[in-house]
Amino acid sequence: MALRAARLERKPALAVAVTVLFFAWLYLPILAVALFSFNDKKSLSAFSGFSLRWYDDLFHNSGLIRSLVASIEIATVSTVGSLVLGTMLALGLERVRSRRGRVIGAVTLLPLVTPEIVTGVAALLLFTGVGLKLSMTTVILAEVTFSIAYVTVIVRGRLAGVSTEVEEAARDLGCTPFQALRLVTLPTLVPALVGAGLLVFALVFDDFVLAFFTTGVDPQPLPVRVYSSIRFGVSPAINAIGTLMLLGSALLIVAALALPRLLSRETSSLDLITGGQK
Amino acid sequence: MSTAPMSTHYSDGPTAGGITTPSVSLRGLTKVFGGTAVVDHLDLDIASGEFFSLLGPSGCGKTTTLRMIAGFSDPTSGAILVGGEDVTSTPPHRRDVNTVFQSYALFEHLDVRGNVGFGLRRKGLDKRTRDQRVSRMLELVELGDKGRERPARLSGGQRQRVALARALINEPKVLLLDEPLAALDLKLRRAMQAELKAIQREVGITFLFVTHDQDEALSMSDRVAIMNAGVIEQCGTPEDVYERPTSVFAAGFIGTSNLMSGTWSQGCVTIPPSVAIPAPAHRGSAEGDAVSVAVRPEKIWLSELTPEMFRLPGTIVATSYHGATTQYTVSIAPGLTLTVLEQNLPRMRAEDRWSPGDRVEMGWLPEHTVVLT
Repeated sequence: MALRAARLERKPALAVAVTVLFFAWLYLPILAVALFSFNDKKSLSAFSGFSLRWYDDLFHNSGLIRSLVASIEIATVSTVGSLVLGTMLALGLERVRSRRGRVIGAVTLLPLVTPEIVTGVAALLLFTGVGLKLSMTTVILAEVTFSIAYVTVIVRGRLAGVSTEVEEAARDLGCTPFQALRLVTLPTLVPALVGAGLLVFALVFDDFVLAFFTTGVDPQPLPVRVYSSIRFGVSPAINAIGTLMLLGSALLIVAALALPRLLSRETSSLDLITGGQK
Repeated sequence: MSTAPMSTHYSDGPTAGGITTPSVSLRGLTKVFGGTAVVDHLDLDIASGEFFSLLGPSGCGKTTTLRMIAGFSDPTSGAILVGGEDVTSTPPHRRDVNTVFQSYALFEHLDVRGNVGFGLRRKGLDKRTRDQRVSRMLELVELGDKGRERPARLSGGQRQRVALARALINEPKVLLLDEPLAALDLKLRRAMQAELKAIQREVGITFLFVTHDQDEALSMSDRVAIMNAGVIEQCGTPEDVYERPTSVFAAGFIGTSNLMSGTWSQGCVTIPPSVAIPAPAHRGSAEGDAVSVAVRPEKIWLSELTPEMFRLPGTIVATSYHGATTQYTVSIAPGLTLTVLEQNLPRMRAEDRWSPGDRVEMGWLPEHTVVLT
């Protein structure tokens, strides 16, 4: 017994080494980006001194700022749109059970497994085919189509755990079916909606493939803009924008963790994404 | 048997057509699912203030009946009256009926006060009245200090009380309870049974209680209806249905019964090969009719027999000790055994109990012979 316990307590050196290597591989490049965004020279290999000049550069680069704003707009509108449509779809699929419903449910999941480039090309062909001018609107249309599946999957997961008796209880206590949805079902879904919303926002905000195929000329979504500007030589301003985005994502994750706890809900929305529910 | 001294309309039998309108009346209520009648022409009147139980095995249609009264399920035919008013096609939110769900179905996004006050809020009562009534209701279910808790933080028994309070606060004409105690452990269930009964007496609201637990139904109800395969087999006071079952199903479902089938001949039930049990009070069977006879195990005596008892010799074949009682299996003929339940009284010692192989003479009073046709 004692021998076994001792063996378990000794840290397996190989596992530790692999873990350290993994995290280094994952995060060192990102750290480098953050670090070099504060470099006072244009060099991407030698750090010569601390400076905020690239951030200054960034804020005076109207093209990049326009792209950043465009991406935030696209992500926001797409998030709201896919939340509304995805939740409606989830409610329909989960509460009206039928064979046809199961088929529709399976079809909804297709965007998750379809190569994005196929979706992108298809969207482009559709939009040009019907004569839609490529713009931010087309990007949003494509992104919403693509994101509904994520919302539906997450919301359905939560709905499946909510007994239909809860809705019946609401109706029993004086709610019309619509009031039951508004006053009981939707509030119960809030953690799932927050989780799905954050996920969709993050996915859409830095989505490159769909945006690349469906965007107009100006303003370009940020990922497309960054990609095209890199072709003309990397400016450390890209590092600065990367660092800002990293900071933004970190804030979102903290918000996702903290908000539900602050509202003293049992399930954090992040648990729903990571599957780490109680 | 317990009586209900504080309830307003205690009754021994159906009280429809009396001075008061029944709380709930079912008229030929029928529900057909996929060609089978799950509930089959149910007629029932539940008096105002009554604690009424629908008792039956799972799948007997009791929950479907409850759901139709609540309005969650549409009857195939028949009518439902609540307080004399036909509500058959009224949607659930406009019925003066509230439900305590088996899963409790609490609103997890609201605290206890929010849950309990939900119905009053829908009715548009002002905040002050609501607060007062919620506080009073929480006192009644002894959750006065839990008002600001979320349901997820409560124990099973506490969640059950919230569900009860949330429904009761609306003072419905009838409260429907769908196996509300099924999820609790045995000890808590016993405690809640007593409490539920006390609360019902205090508020005086009609309770329609659905359960498959006979003990629950017998100990709490003013009247019990035994349901099987969509129909009511028997309806009466707990004492009625236990002491005087009117069908083989009722006799077998409530408690245990020694059920033997035979034929009616010369005032006796003749059970092959060689047993004849007299039933002088039985009427309505002709010579040669197939009948069954039921005798409760605890009505059979193994000693101190009195002259008026019907006597039957037998041999003990098995005994099992249950603490308060001892159960004997007694053979009365080849292939025919009776179960006898004897109280382990204070004056009895271990050596007073019978052992396998002992010859015994059993006896029971004529009124404990129940003939079922």
